[in-house]
Amino acid sequence: MPLWDKRQNILLLTALVVFHLILISLQIPRGQDKSLFEKSVFFVFSPVQRAAVGAVRGVRSFWLDYFDLRGVRAENRKLKEDHFFLQQENRFLQDRLGLFRSEARIRESLERFRDGLIPARVIGIDSSNPFRSLVLDKGSLDGVKKNMAVCDKFGNLVGRTIDPVSLREAMVQLITDKESSVSVISGTDRLVGSITGLSGSVCELRYVLASTTGGAVGEDLQTTGHDRIYPAGLRVGRIASIQKDPSLPLFRKILVQPHFRFNTLDAVAVLPQVQGGDK
Amino acid sequence: MRETVLKDIFRAVLGTSAAVLLYSLAGSAGPSVLVVLNAFSVVVVTFSVRRGEVFGAFLGTACGLAQDAFSLSVFGLAGLTKTLLGFFTGYVARRIDISPFPRAGAFLLVVSTLELGAWMLLSAVVRQEPVNLHGGLILLQPPVTALLGVALIAAERRILARRRET
Repeated sequence: MPLWDKRQNILLLTALVVFHLILISLQIPRGQDKSLFEKSVFFVFSPVQRAAVGAVRGVRSFWLDYFDLRGVRAENRKLKEDHFFLQQENRFLQDRLGLFRSEARIRESLERFRDGLIPARVIGIDSSNPFRSLVLDKGSLDGVKKNMAVCDKFGNLVGRTIDPVSLREAMVQLITDKESSVSVISGTDRLVGSITGLSGSVCELRYVLASTTGGAVGEDLQTTGHDRIYPAGLRVGRIASIQKDPSLPLFRKILVQPHFRFNTLDAVAVLPQVQGGDK
Repeated sequence: MRETVLKDIFRAVLGTSAAVLLYSLAGSAGPSVLVVLNAFSVVVVTFSVRRGEVFGAFLGTACGLAQDAFSLSVFGLAGLTKTLLGFFTGYVARRIDISPFPRAGAFLLVVSTLELGAWMLLSAVVRQEPVNLHGGLILLQPPVTALLGVALIAAERRILARRRET
């Protein structure tokens, strides 16, 4: 094969480029499920990521647990104080709830919720844009499925699980991703709309008509549960600005600052699928 | 020839694992670190300089696809640009003298800038929307890649020189 011998390197490059072009063109238009090949690459390399993060955390916790114990006493005192106030708050909320529902039903629903909750740790952030996705250290063996809501340790909505979910790892689409959509309602003026990410640090509240009254900067937004993925009542974010949109005069342009912060995303909770969602 | 290709593929997978490791460590430091430091590019340029264009292309494919697998962007975009990055880094590095570190740094800066430009252009065309520049932070990616690439190449040269001495 004289051509192969002469132009071996260029032919290899051409083959690889054609392979990638086919791979890209198979995904257009977007919105389809991830291909088996893409899932396989994730399955192969996600354990490496898990091992790397595990090693770093191991060294850090060894140092913090055995050597660097400065401030532990003060922290313990503060935690005890916080625990006391949280207990009081919990008691108060349970009493208030008891006014509306019987204790047995409250306990039953709390137990069910607690049993279904999957605590997880974040082991990776999207390699192309950090505001789009995360990788968790829990997978299908731990009960994680596609379309489960994910909250941070303060109960703020972070996103939902998407494909690929491997045996021990799962990917989460953040609410800041531009292809994400969450049905929300505002706390005070009951504005209903859909939050979509802008693949940056803020999101946009869409489909609020310009003729709608109410809504103020600083107002909190919660999930409605209408999308049948996110349970109702999860804290999502706060209205950051309200403007007129010259390009879309029918709707208001509302920017939302999500409540979750990357620096508190070390531990998260995967919520049980209460309302179903497409599987 | 077949054995060489298989060996290259195996080494590319090992190199990619090293890139995933570096990317995971960078990710633990915070999201903005990931915008500035593209671990996959660093690994591709470092290994391609020494091992040539064929290995560079295979490593670029493996690293790019791994980067795509850990992202929600179109699968194959980074694969394509990193394949070209690996190939051209290996190809040009064999034809010009990049022994002096400033020259190696300038060379890596040029190729990584071209790679970032190609990735941004392709992303904009395929997704039909402008790429998020993270307030201009993403533009620091090529200098950081060049700097780390040169540092790794220097370290490798020193290790090899010591081995030869002993």
